[in-house]
Amino acid sequence: MIVYIVRRLVVSFFILLGATALVFWLVAISGDPLEDLYADQSPNKEDKIAERTRRMHLDQPIPQRYLTWLAGVAKCVVPGQGCDLGTNQTGQDVKVLLGNAAGATLRLVLVAVVVAIVIGVTVGIVSALRQYSGFDYTITFAAFLFFSLPVFWVAVLLKQYLAIEFNDWLADPRIGPVPMIALGLLSGLTWSAVIGGERRRRLTVFGVACAVTVLLLLYLLAVDWFTYPALGPGLVTVFALGTAVGVTELVSGLHRRGVLHASLAAAGVGIIAQFVLAGVLEDPSWPVVLLLAASTVPIGIGLGMVFGQLDKPQAARAAVLTGLLTGTLVFTDRALSAVHGYSQRVNGRIVATIGSDTPNFTGDFWQRFIDTVTHLALPTLAIMLISFATYARFTRATMLEVMSQDYVRTARAKGLTERTVVMRHAFRNALIPVTTLMAIDFGGVIGGAVITENVFGWEGMGTLFINGLERSDPNPVMGFFVLTATSIVIFNMLADIAYAYLDPRIRMS
Amino acid sequence: MMTGERFGNDRDQRSGTSGADPTELLRIENLAVDFPTDDGTVHAVRGVSFALDEGEVLGIVGESGSGKSVSMLAVMGLLPMSARVSGRAVFRGRDVLALPERERRSLRGRKIGMVFQDPMTALNPVYSVGDQLAEAVRSHEAVSRRVAMDRAAEMLDLVGIPKPAERLSAYPHEFSGGMRQRVMIAMAVINQPDVIIADEPTTALDVTVQAQILEKLIEVKDAVNAAIILITHDLGVVAGVAGQVLVMYAGREVELGSTAQVFTTPRMPYTAGLLGSIPTLDTTENRLRPIPGAPPSLINLPPGCPFSPRCPLVQERCIVDEPDLQETDRRDHLAACHHWDRLAACDDPTTFFRTGAGIR
Amino acid sequence: MTDTSPGQAPSLAPGALGPVGDQPEREFTVTARTSGQMVRRRFLRHRGAMGGLAVLVAVILLAFTSIGFGPVDGWWGKDYTRTAPVVDGGQMTLDLLPFVDGDGLAVGEHPFGQDNVGKDYFALTMRGTQRSLIIAFVVGLVSMLVGLLVGTLSGYFRGITEGVLMRITDVFLTIPLLVIAAVVSRRWSGAGIVVLGLVLGLVVWVQLARLVRGEFLSLREKEFVEAARALGASGPRIILRHLLPNTIGTVIVNVTLIISAAILLETALSFLGLGVQPPDTSLGVLVSVYQTASMTRPWLFWWPGLFIIAIALSINFIGDGLRDAFDPKQTRVRA
Repeated sequence: MIVYIVRRLVVSFFILLGATALVFWLVAISGDPLEDLYADQSPNKEDKIAERTRRMHLDQPIPQRYLTWLAGVAKCVVPGQGCDLGTNQTGQDVKVLLGNAAGATLRLVLVAVVVAIVIGVTVGIVSALRQYSGFDYTITFAAFLFFSLPVFWVAVLLKQYLAIEFNDWLADPRIGPVPMIALGLLSGLTWSAVIGGERRRRLTVFGVACAVTVLLLLYLLAVDWFTYPALGPGLVTVFALGTAVGVTELVSGLHRRGVLHASLAAAGVGIIAQFVLAGVLEDPSWPVVLLLAASTVPIGIGLGMVFGQLDKPQAARAAVLTGLLTGTLVFTDRALSAVHGYSQRVNGRIVATIGSDTPNFTGDFWQRFIDTVTHLALPTLAIMLISFATYARFTRATMLEVMSQDYVRTARAKGLTERTVVMRHAFRNALIPVTTLMAIDFGGVIGGAVITENVFGWEGMGTLFINGLERSDPNPVMGFFVLTATSIVIFNMLADIAYAYLDPRIRMS
Repeated sequence: MMTGERFGNDRDQRSGTSGADPTELLRIENLAVDFPTDDGTVHAVRGVSFALDEGEVLGIVGESGSGKSVSMLAVMGLLPMSARVSGRAVFRGRDVLALPERERRSLRGRKIGMVFQDPMTALNPVYSVGDQLAEAVRSHEAVSRRVAMDRAAEMLDLVGIPKPAERLSAYPHEFSGGMRQRVMIAMAVINQPDVIIADEPTTALDVTVQAQILEKLIEVKDAVNAAIILITHDLGVVAGVAGQVLVMYAGREVELGSTAQVFTTPRMPYTAGLLGSIPTLDTTENRLRPIPGAPPSLINLPPGCPFSPRCPLVQERCIVDEPDLQETDRRDHLAACHHWDRLAACDDPTTFFRTGAGIR
Repeated sequence: MTDTSPGQAPSLAPGALGPVGDQPEREFTVTARTSGQMVRRRFLRHRGAMGGLAVLVAVILLAFTSIGFGPVDGWWGKDYTRTAPVVDGGQMTLDLLPFVDGDGLAVGEHPFGQDNVGKDYFALTMRGTQRSLIIAFVVGLVSMLVGLLVGTLSGYFRGITEGVLMRITDVFLTIPLLVIAAVVSRRWSGAGIVVLGLVLGLVVWVQLARLVRGEFLSLREKEFVEAARALGASGPRIILRHLLPNTIGTVIVNVTLIISAAILLETALSFLGLGVQPPDTSLGVLVSVYQTASMTRPWLFWWPGLFIIAIALSINFIGDGLRDAFDPKQTRVRA
């Protein structure tokens, strides 16, 4: 395995080398970097030209310029040398530019990829299990639509309509009877299609979902929730216990009492912890939050051991999952509570349309978090649509194929519950090809990010790339490219490792 | 044992469970399976009835596509959702086809085990053999993983896998085809079922391994005291082990009787044709006598006997009127043929298929 | 008496049946079909693909007949370059709910409205559609040729040829498509849309080449290829007669998907200012130019976008239908 990874790394290194040479050459010949200076009317035009020629080594042939650049990059790998990614046309250090830009872009790309995978794979599974249902057809059509949407157009659309309309609505949150009923019907249709079953059961689910949605909206409006959003300890408790039940149902089925008890205990610990840790949660920092999340793991395992009875490993897994989800609930509750304060500081325009964060924004941890989220929301939505569609379609196809395999029939013949057949036998096998998709999809998301940053005015790597390209200035473009290509290679590697981990036939060879 | 009374010409009669033979385990009545497809409805199974006693071995024989696997998958409840199943499958007095899904599930693997044809694909590649065996135990019994693993090791030992305790953690790809089929058998019997349905258990294996697996299957059946329904297209397999044979053609049951009777004195030309196409050492004069043609499509079946286009005894009646399964010259030997008496009158019915005899 | 299973001679001669020889014909098997017929039948039955085909044909006809193409004049009288006084704030005159409000279908003077200098936006959109379609089909053609060539060479000859070609495709795969497309299009977009289509085609062939190579690798081990080789068939003959025809399904399906992706790629590049250069136009250029108008005169933003979606969506549905038709069981990785 390690030999395999090392070999892959070496091959990737040489391919990366070839790719950088190709991109460098193409950018260098893409135009005349002195073009804007020819029209310059100032008296020191000749000096400017000479200066830029010297800075960009335009007197040297392109291969030599590439080697100069490469020598600088090589220092990144050698410890103690300090990176040298060159300077751009106007002499700014690309390393500094990249450092400022990379954080925002990588955040955007990673969030989009993770959200697309989670939602896409889930929807794909449900779509496969409910093949030829209304839900399946809707998702299929939506996926085709998303494949066909121009990212830049969607981005403009979201920015001009969703953000502005939503902000306007938040200023005076009211829902008329028609949209209210429409939302209720939509929720009813979705849930009845997802849960499925007999006609009677579907109708019941439809009715209940309709009513619950409408009542929930009425309640939220009545308490002015959209102006002062929060979950509050009551809802956190209800949701946490519900999560415990749901996780148990997914992991083992509710009849495994040990697992259920462990999950409930984990939810309970989380609920109590939000009061005990109230002081810490007032204004935490990311390390603290991550530490809290990490502490869920040993606690969950412990609870699993205590309550698990015959199913200790499953109970531990369910408890850890429940613990993390309860933590997320508490986190969400805190973040939502900060929305009102944040809203006042940005004049009620919560959903941002420009940039990756509000310039010079200061506030506590929660407000800064909300600031990041509201800036991320729309660009993420714009670039994840295609990825979502890809994952949903691919997962659906893979699940359908796996579900028709002989070993799934064997699992049924053993008398396993449908839940075990789907989650343990089918899904686990369907995950194997899905990991290969991750590597392929990642490059596409980066392309989407370049366009989306342009629309939303982010000072990210996409902007660095486009500006560099427009001036035929290889160094910023190469800075962008080295970082993205490296992350693509790393993503490929992760996908390969996940593949090997999931498939014992590969792992052991 | 099978008697003619149970399945007379009036095959719609419902024999109440009260009058059933006390040792009777499973009775199938008028089982039919349809699949709707783009080209029309496929009538995959068009009426199968038989009874299985405790500890008995029943062979179901037929070409591929004759409905033998589909009918047993219908009993197990393993057909795709689109399949339409009708008829009854009474297991210990209860019609499993009418049971709610939850109870059907609890029968699967616990009371009725199943061994599939291709051991290369029937085991999940990502879990160890021990996990897959233990899972079968733990889905029906509240026992710890350790206990289930011990049972799994015991079963691997029973089916003749060396060093069973060590092999528990091995993955399916580390086993040979024959060994995997042994694992499948262990999985089918790990909960001591009453019936084992073996769907062509030896077809995908090397010839040298086939006999071992068959022998092991019978040995294991005796160890757990189960009955076996052995689905195969290989008459040789049936001849060795089955007490009764059921022959299927085009979704129908065309002959049913004790193995000895069916094999020595077939009463349906199709069976005779099958027997004639087995190579034996003494058929020197004419070598093989294959059945000409191919089985019919199960969509838009015309009236009449489905075997008539290939049958050397075909007459006008056969093309108009599909024969029912009926008693022949012996009460417990049923056949669906208008001309069973012509086969009875002949010493060696396989000679009807001799090249040139009635066919070009 | 007929037995029509493929390649099967009638097994029973009517004469053998004596008196029943003149009975009506009986069908025992479904009618045999060649694989080409099967593919066509499955494709024609695919509702999504048929709908997509109808929409695509309609869009192509509308775009090319309305304002004409080259020297041929169209039936739409207005020119996309001619400015005119802006009437009624450039409002669109097309009645979007023709039969709901009871006044029938109204096209009006400027169905899609006018832009800020009074150009007829319908004519402009049609011009953009023409340009985008031409680029997409050139991309499809070029990438098909290059992909087939590279895939064939590396799949058939193996050895050093394969190694070199596959490393080249690896290099291309490491670069995000939009990045390399942006770089080449920045260099060559000034030379006109055909050249732009050509260079874009030269960077999107990679996935197709890998698929063709994969098919070749598995096909070349098949018995019928061995047989052809044993009979002394030459390399080119084996490739042309035995291997290529068997990859046609993969190629057609993927070229369709490439064309749909190319529409999106071109419009995205044009939006970023790296693709089609004004004064020439394309759907992407139109969205880019009028994006700021989306609040005040939204139709200037909506129409080109809707045409992009209509084209890409219909081609995607056609591709799906083709994939189902060629190989009902194949799963797909979109790249």
